[in-house]
Amino acid sequence: MTTYSDHPQHWARIQESGTVAGMRAMVWIRRRLGRLPFRLALGLVIAYYYISRALPRRASRRYLERIWPLHAGRPLRGAFLLGLRHFMAFGQSLMDKVDAWSGIPLDIRFTPEDRACLDQAIRSGRGGLMLVSHIGNLEICSAMSDTREDFHVTQLMHTRNARKFNQMLDRTTLRRGPEIIEVSEITPATAMRLAERINAGGFVVIAADRVPVSEDGRVCHLDFLGAPAPFPEGPFWLAALLRCPVYTLSCLREGESHYIEFRPFDDTTHLRRAERDTWREDAMQRYVEWLTDQCRRYPLQWFNFFPFWLTDDRHDG
Amino acid sequence: MTNALETELKQLIIDTLELEDVTPEDIDPDEPLFVEGLGLDSIDALELGLALQKTYGIKLEADSEETRRHFANLKSLAALVEARRVK
Repeated sequence: MTTYSDHPQHWARIQESGTVAGMRAMVWIRRRLGRLPFRLALGLVIAYYYISRALPRRASRRYLERIWPLHAGRPLRGAFLLGLRHFMAFGQSLMDKVDAWSGIPLDIRFTPEDRACLDQAIRSGRGGLMLVSHIGNLEICSAMSDTREDFHVTQLMHTRNARKFNQMLDRTTLRRGPEIIEVSEITPATAMRLAERINAGGFVVIAADRVPVSEDGRVCHLDFLGAPAPFPEGPFWLAALLRCPVYTLSCLREGESHYIEFRPFDDTTHLRRAERDTWREDAMQRYVEWLTDQCRRYPLQWFNFFPFWLTDDRHDG
Repeated sequence: MTNALETELKQLIIDTLELEDVTPEDIDPDEPLFVEGLGLDSIDALELGLALQKTYGIKLEADSEETRRHFANLKSLAALVEARRVK
């Protein structure tokens, strides 16, 4: 177990420098002036952010150095511009959220396999846990829950920053997103609430690529892109305790389209107590493999702009 | 009767957490369940919460301080079940 609370660069302690007011201004431009002026403004904001904020810029650079050889088959070149593109992709994803929740139609696509898998998961009525990561754009999946009567999503979140953004969305789009349960630690009450949702056939979304804020966070150090990085045990404990189907979910941008990937990961319904530890270790390993594959295919869509690896210089920023 | 409920809860704890070496008599109703006393951890707490929900239909508020009070020892747990059970 490792404690990150005394860590000044824990992701939860890094303030997103875009203020709510700034984001609201961006939403206003998107709505009133349209797509092109918005893109221009977004480009300027992101470029300013990229140049003025050394810590996220360097964190992005560390990540790109690791992922680029896997993606392109050669070392990273033109790092400055690629980093800018990474940031632009992040800005774009924020605004895709706004679009998704504003009811602006998005081009959402599935491969036949992913669609069949999701349909079957919903039809089974058993609900489940959906493991996600900070790759691509989850809000699009959540927006889907608006359009399907039978698809109920509850999102478990650790971050205060996200709440800030979501409050802003609620106010400016007048639409409610998915149900969000915000926690600093997973308590029995949380587990019970989630079990209730799943028993009713709902789906619980939980990201498994950020360690919790709380002091007693259970953390596992796993090899990710060539160096050890901390991953939270909590989502996997929940998966084991909730005894339900487990899936992986992501939504990745390709050009102007959003591809939803939804795959079965495991089923813990009959997992025996004695096997739980082994299962968790194995599941975490498989999750990291899944994440590695996602990052390899869509390197610019993984949005963790803080020192992610243990080997990263903590005072790099 | 509280005593019967306490015995029932002791058995529930032992069964849920598969505490093989523990008998109901070993659990002191006033002794802490977690860390000291029975030595349960935070994962056990989650599991126990889910078992209480399944068996008695208990709901808890998200307030973690309150949860900690309910889960302090067997007596407080029995009080919780008595007050909130729907089955």
